[in-house]
Amino acid sequence: MTDTGIVNISSFNKLKKSKNIKIKAIIKNLSVFYSDKCAVDNVSMNINAREVTAMIGPSGCGKSTFIRCLNRMNDVIENCTVKGSILIDGYDIYHPKIDVVKLRSQIGMVFQKPNPFPKSIYDNVAYGPRLHGIATKKNDLDNIVEESLTKAGLFKEVKDRLNDTAIGLSGGQQQRLCIARTISISPSIILMDEPCSALDPIATAVIEELIENLKKSYTILIVTHNMQQAARVSEKTAFFHLGKLIEFGDTKTIFTNPREKQTLGYITGRYG
Amino acid sequence: MSSTINQDIASSISSARINKEKRFQIYGVAALLFAMIMLVTLFITIFSKGLSAFIQTKVNLDIELTQEVIDPEGSRDLNVLKQANYQKLIDDSLKLYALNLFDKDEKELIKNLRMILSPIAYLELRNLVIDNQDFIGKTKKVSFIASDDIDQYFKGKIDMSIPEDDRKITDIQEKFLDDLQSKGQINKVFNKTLFTKSDSREAELSGVLGAVIGSFYSLLIAGLLSIPIGIGAAIYLQEFAKKNRITDFIEININNLAAVPSIVFGLLGLAIFLNMFLMPRSAPLVGGMVLALMTLPKIIIPARAAILAVPESIKQGALALGASHMQSIMHHVLPLAMPAILTGIIIGLAQALGETAPLLMIGMIAFIPDTPLYITDPATALPVQIFMWADNPERAFVERTSAAIIILLFFLIAMNSIAIYLRQKFERKW
Repeated sequence: MTDTGIVNISSFNKLKKSKNIKIKAIIKNLSVFYSDKCAVDNVSMNINAREVTAMIGPSGCGKSTFIRCLNRMNDVIENCTVKGSILIDGYDIYHPKIDVVKLRSQIGMVFQKPNPFPKSIYDNVAYGPRLHGIATKKNDLDNIVEESLTKAGLFKEVKDRLNDTAIGLSGGQQQRLCIARTISISPSIILMDEPCSALDPIATAVIEELIENLKKSYTILIVTHNMQQAARVSEKTAFFHLGKLIEFGDTKTIFTNPREKQTLGYITGRYG
Repeated sequence: MSSTINQDIASSISSARINKEKRFQIYGVAALLFAMIMLVTLFITIFSKGLSAFIQTKVNLDIELTQEVIDPEGSRDLNVLKQANYQKLIDDSLKLYALNLFDKDEKELIKNLRMILSPIAYLELRNLVIDNQDFIGKTKKVSFIASDDIDQYFKGKIDMSIPEDDRKITDIQEKFLDDLQSKGQINKVFNKTLFTKSDSREAELSGVLGAVIGSFYSLLIAGLLSIPIGIGAAIYLQEFAKKNRITDFIEININNLAAVPSIVFGLLGLAIFLNMFLMPRSAPLVGGMVLALMTLPKIIIPARAAILAVPESIKQGALALGASHMQSIMHHVLPLAMPAILTGIIIGLAQALGETAPLLMIGMIAFIPDTPLYITDPATALPVQIFMWADNPERAFVERTSAAIIILLFFLIAMNSIAIYLRQKFERKW
């Protein structure tokens, strides 16, 4: 494949070769502005495939804005401008020829507050496959729903009440339903924006276990306020402060031997 | 410093404050009572005046359907049957009943007696004979609609103590009617005419059917125009329009339109629809278009509020699954906002149903005895019909005015009940 504006395979492969690892996404000089306010300031980093990358940092540091850039959810916010480039599997996702709607079907997102649709459990999971025409026959759809719910570790709990409304589920179950909904259309990246912040510790543990399983097949980016969680689930950790990427590296290194003073200050709880 | 509670809390239960609260409660209860009394008074007046209009007095007469008068040649030809002198048959029957009661000269007597039946009594008889040709030659008991004054007399609404010249019922009629009643020839039945006939100069023959159909057509046009335009405008303004001066300006204007007096919309309809586009006068089509203009802001404003009330997170959930903006609105936002939008629509249309002023301006105030068939036929509407009947001096129209108000109230209450039912059934569920 040759280089065009939209596909930038050669530089992608070069980088892949030089680092000799499975790179999923390359973020280069990314800046995000809300009107004049700079929310993300010149961030560059590489995301590895089939790994969990955690974003930590104090509130308002731009980590949520950052991951929302990867499926272009910031597009729906008025006055939000994005500069720099993001290559995912070699595709420049901010190229004008990119179909945002199709992009979002390949980069799933789980939100901070569980947001199931006020429909039945079945319809929640089946919505994506129906929308994209992945499954048209009832049988195929049933299989996808079951598979997604099983992967999200929810199937056993809800298999007898798939037609009940999703609103009746507990918070943790709702969040797992949202994860099932996300993986029902087999995305290649899953973005998680503080998925456990509205959940109790037990539900959190269930979700963390789920993330552990999911990373075998998906690339996961997770924003979290909980540093133990970042330490538990992630391979790589990025520390943001005031829109800047202060430090990015292996989770172990970040938590045991950070390079920057600010990182040390944050992970030891001195500010945030 | 002592850590016990300040003794103030025990001693200072301020009587002034308590009195103030009590006084305020009394004001509230008084206001509510006043409103309730007004409402109850309104209902009692309307119902006490109007309920009797649902009952109609019928006069049953034995009529000898003589072959010589109806069809002397026995041809049973429809034209012959139509042109026969049925009034003579009725007159003969009335004379027979009056035979032993009066000894006055016949001409004035029969004129008096004819007045107890509605002016179309001979038509009722004619239709009966045409439908049942085997009745010819026999004597049959025929039920006639009583004239409005007789109807009022049997409903006890005519004061017989005033001098004969000042009242609607003559002494002859009174004597005759009392005799008929004692023979069991008078009965009261449910007033079907009120629902199956349109306007008429004769109170006993007038009904609301034309007005109800006119109102229905107008409302249908108003709904067909204002519901899609209103919802579309609300979706566009809430979801797609960029926040700038133009949208601000549009928003202010929509809010202002909701407060514009309805007669102004009528003038607009007169100037634009009738004078510029030369659309038919008095037609429900134009009435509906004017009502649609009036209803639009009343649909757009609650629809926007309903769309705004759908949580952003649900829309984002759909977007993140790869739904387009339009799909997220159609699949999620609109279904969730629909109950509240529907409530707005029904309340807006219920208001349109009760609206009179704009319809006056486009000529829907007219005496129209025909029942409209098409939306371009001249018609009137229920509230306008009430307005016109209220203008009539006859007693019988007074009770019909109230009856028409009861019918209008019935439709309004039904529509509002549906709105309340929808609101409660689809309470927000997220």
